[in-house]
Amino acid sequence: MYQWDGTLSPSEFDISVADLCERWREVGTSLPQWVWLPDRALGALSCNVAAGYLAIENIYHQNASEEGSFEESISRDEEPFDEATLVPSNKNDMHIYDYHILYSFTFRVPVLYFRGYQSDGCPLKLVDIEKDLPAYSLKLLRESKWAFITQEDHPYLHRPWYTLHPCGTGDWMKFLLCSDAPNKIPPLHGYLSAWLSVIGQVVGLRIPIGLFKSV
Amino acid sequence: MASETSSTPSSSRASAEPSSSSYTAIRDPGRILQFDPFQSLVDEGFWHRLSSLKLDSLGLDQSPISLTGFYAPCSHSEVSNRLTLLAESLPPDPKQLESPLERVHGNRNRCPVPGTLYNMNTLESFKALDRVSLLKMEAQKVEEDSAVLLRFLVISFADLKKWNFLHWFAFPAVVLDPPAMILNIQSAKDALNQDEGQSLSAVMNEWRNSSLTTDVPFFLIIISSSHATVRHLKDWEACQHDGQKLLFGFYDPSCRATNPGWPLRNYLAFISLRYNIGKIQFFCYREKHGFADLGLSLVGEAAVSPPQDWREPQNIPKAVGWQPKPKNIRLAESMDPERLAVSAADLNLKLMRWRTLPSLDLNILSNVKCLLLGAGTLGCQVARMLMAWGVRKMTLVDSGKVAMSNPVRQSLYTFDDCLNGGSFKAVAAASSLKQIFPAMEAEGIQLSIPMPGHPILANEVDRVHEDCKQLWNLISSHDVTFLLTDTRESRWLPTLLCASENKVAITAALGFDSYLVMRHGSGPLITVSDQTDSPSTLDDGVQRLGCYFCSDVVAPIDSTSNRTLDQQCTVTRPGLAPIASALAVELLVGLLHHPNGIHAPGEIANSIMSSSKEPLGILPHQIRGSLPQYSQLTLLGHSSNSCTACSSTVVLEFKRRGIEFVLQAINHPTYLEDLTGLTELMESAKSFNLDWDKETSDDDDADL
Repeated sequence: MYQWDGTLSPSEFDISVADLCERWREVGTSLPQWVWLPDRALGALSCNVAAGYLAIENIYHQNASEEGSFEESISRDEEPFDEATLVPSNKNDMHIYDYHILYSFTFRVPVLYFRGYQSDGCPLKLVDIEKDLPAYSLKLLRESKWAFITQEDHPYLHRPWYTLHPCGTGDWMKFLLCSDAPNKIPPLHGYLSAWLSVIGQVVGLRIPIGLFKSV
Repeated sequence: MASETSSTPSSSRASAEPSSSSYTAIRDPGRILQFDPFQSLVDEGFWHRLSSLKLDSLGLDQSPISLTGFYAPCSHSEVSNRLTLLAESLPPDPKQLESPLERVHGNRNRCPVPGTLYNMNTLESFKALDRVSLLKMEAQKVEEDSAVLLRFLVISFADLKKWNFLHWFAFPAVVLDPPAMILNIQSAKDALNQDEGQSLSAVMNEWRNSSLTTDVPFFLIIISSSHATVRHLKDWEACQHDGQKLLFGFYDPSCRATNPGWPLRNYLAFISLRYNIGKIQFFCYREKHGFADLGLSLVGEAAVSPPQDWREPQNIPKAVGWQPKPKNIRLAESMDPERLAVSAADLNLKLMRWRTLPSLDLNILSNVKCLLLGAGTLGCQVARMLMAWGVRKMTLVDSGKVAMSNPVRQSLYTFDDCLNGGSFKAVAAASSLKQIFPAMEAEGIQLSIPMPGHPILANEVDRVHEDCKQLWNLISSHDVTFLLTDTRESRWLPTLLCASENKVAITAALGFDSYLVMRHGSGPLITVSDQTDSPSTLDDGVQRLGCYFCSDVVAPIDSTSNRTLDQQCTVTRPGLAPIASALAVELLVGLLHHPNGIHAPGEIANSIMSSSKEPLGILPHQIRGSLPQYSQLTLLGHSSNSCTACSSTVVLEFKRRGIEFVLQAINHPTYLEDLTGLTELMESAKSFNLDWDKETSDDDDADL
C-alpha cells in the first residue's frame, strides 16, 4: 500500500504553478497577480523544470508606527524656499512586501520566501515584520510545530530573505490533502493552492477565500 | 511681435499666445500650481551591486556614474509611485560607468529615467559636495536634451565597513518666475464625457501594452468627436486641427487628487518654451490593476509664462529639487558576511531545538567559557565540537609548537603552521578557530603545566611559580576545564585546581586503541556561607563522583622517561581522538543541561530503560571504549578519600599553603602518597602478602 509522503516532483510543481495562477485570476482579489520569473542563469538549457520562482510583489501594508531613516545632522539650507513645491503631509508610511514561491529540490516541496521594506527601500527586520502580522499569524508562529521563520540566502537573488522552513511541509500537506483517504495520492495540480491557503495565514498574506476548493 | 507668433494662424487652440518682450501675463484668478514632489526608493539590491562595483572596479574613484532609475504611473489611490533604484540601475559592464547610458529599455512597470550618481569615499567629501551647482548642472541637461524631461541626481557615501549607505536624491526642476498658475484641475472621469472617457482608456491601455511605447512617459492626447488618440510629442505640429482637444499627457507617479506629480514641472516649462503656449491642458495618467483609471487620473489647465532669460542660451535656469534631508540605510545584518555567518551557524542549533529538542538552552552554550588544556589531537577536536554546539568562548593552552606530523591528526593546523620552526600551537589553534568562524572569541596561551615527578631546577622556581598562578587564574576564570594533555602527571595540577575551585572538569585520555572520557565530581569542600573562615567538608555525607586519579593507588610520577619510543610518542589509532573528543563535548552539553550541574549523579547505560527522562539522555560519569571490539561501557566511580588530587586532605592542604604545596608535591611525589595515607595503605597491603592485582595500573599504557 503506497503512502503518499506529502511531496511533489519538479514537473508537478510547474503544473501546480500554472493552476495557482489560474485560480488566483478567477477568484478575483485586490492583490496583484502572480508572475513567474524564470531562472536567468539557465538561459536556453532544456532541463529547466521548476527553475525560477513565482512572485507576487508590492503588497502594501499600512504602517502603524513612526519611522524615519533621515539623517538629522545635514540639512538643506542652501536651497531657497520654493512656492511651487507641495509640502507632503506627514501621514504614516506604507510597508511593502514581496512574496516568492520556490521549489525546494532537497525537500521536494514548495518554499515561501518573503521580505518587507519601508517605502524608501530600507529593509524591515523580522521584529518589524512581526509587528505587521495579524494576531492569528503570531499565534501560529508561536505555537505551531511546523511554522519556523528563518533567514536564508534567496537561491536566485543571492540576498538574505526570510523563509518558512520547509522541513515540516510534507507532513502537514499529507494531513491536509489526504486525511480522509490516506492510501491514495491526491491530484497534485491543486497542491500549491492548498499549500498557500495554509502558509499564507502564517505570514499574513490575505488569501482570497475561494482559493482552496476541495481537490 | 509678429515674428514670435505661432506659425499656424488658424490654430483654434485658445491657449496659443504670442510671447515677446511686451507680453504681459493674462492670468485667470487662480492659485500657484503646486507639484507633489518625487520620492525615492532604493532597493536593497542596488546597494549590494554598488558595493561589489566599488570593491571590484571603482576602488577610490569618485567620478560621476551614469545610471538609470525607474518609475511607473501611480497605481494605488493612496500610495504614490517612487523613483526606484534597483541592481539593474547600474550598468552591467563596469567599463560603461562613465559614459552616458544608452537609453535603457524598460517595461510597463519600469519607465527608465536617466540620472547621475556621485559616490563619495568619506563622509566629509559627501558633506562638502556643492549641492547647488550639482543641481544646476543636472537641470541644464534637461534644458539641453529636451527628449529627456525627467532626470535625477543622487549623492552617496557607502561605508563598506559598517554597511551604512548615506544618500541624498534630487529631482531637478526649473523654477518658473512667475510660477505657473493652476486654472482648473479635476479627475479625468469628471472632465470627459462617457464616450471620450472610454475611448481614452482604450487607447491608453494600448499605449501601455505595446512594448514600443510603454516606457515613453510623455505623449499627446487628441480628442476629436469623442474619439481619442495618443501620439508622440514630436508629432505636435501635425496635430493642430480645429475642433479638437489637445492634452499634454504624462505618467504621473503621484496619487494626489488635487495636485499633479513632479514630472509635470519640467514638462510645462518645456511646452511653454518649445511650443509657445501660455495656457496648457495636461493629463496626469494613473492606473489601477494594470489598466487606465480615469477616476485616479487628472485633467487640468495651467497658465505658464516663460521668463525672459530663457531666450539667452547661456543662462542657466534656477533649479530646485533636493529632497529635504539625506537618508541613511543600515544593511549590516544582510550584507556583513560575518553577521551572516553567525546567523547561519545559529540556525542549525535553532532548528534542532525547534524540531526535536525544545529544552535546548542555546544561551548557556553561547555563554559558557571553556578552557582547553592541550591543543593536540584531543584539543583540536574538542574545540571544533564545542564550536559546532554554539560555544563561542574558548581559551586553549599548550606549551608546544606545531610539528610537521601534526596537521594530519590535529584538525586546526595546516601545513603553513609548521613552517619556520612552527607556530605556537595554542596561538595557531585560536587563530584557526577564528578563521573558521569569525565570531569565535578564542585565545591561545603558551604555557607549560607543572607536573609531579619532573623536579624543578633552582633557576626555574620563579617561572614555575608563575605558571602555577597563571593556570590557577585560568581555571578560576573559566566555567569548564577540559583536560586533554598527553601525560598522566600533567593532569594532576589541573585536577587539584578544579577540585579546589569546584569547577567542571572533563578528562579525555587515549590509549593505543582505547579511550576514557569522564567528568570529575564536584570539589570536596563547600564554603559555609555565614560564619566559618575555614571551609567544611562534604566527604562524609554525600558521595562525590571520582576524578581521574581517584582509582589510582600510586601518585602520578614521571611517565615519560625510560619508556620505549612508541610509549613516548603517544601513538594512537587516529579514529580514537575524534570519538573521545566528541563524547567529551556531548558529555559537557548534557551536564550543562542537567539541573544539578556539577553535582549531577552518574548514570549507567541500561538496556532495559528505553529513554532517560532528560531529553539529551543519561549523564554518565565515565565512558570507556575500545576500538578492537567496537565496544563502549559507562562506568561509575566514587571519590576516594586517599585521592592524590581531589581528596579533602589534599585540597585543604592546598587551600592552606597554596602554590608552596604544589611545588613541594611536584618535587617530591612520595609526599602526596604520605599525605593521603596511600603509603600506609600500601604498607598494610604488603603486609598481607597479597598478589597486588594491578587491574587499574596504567603503567603500560601511555596515560590511561
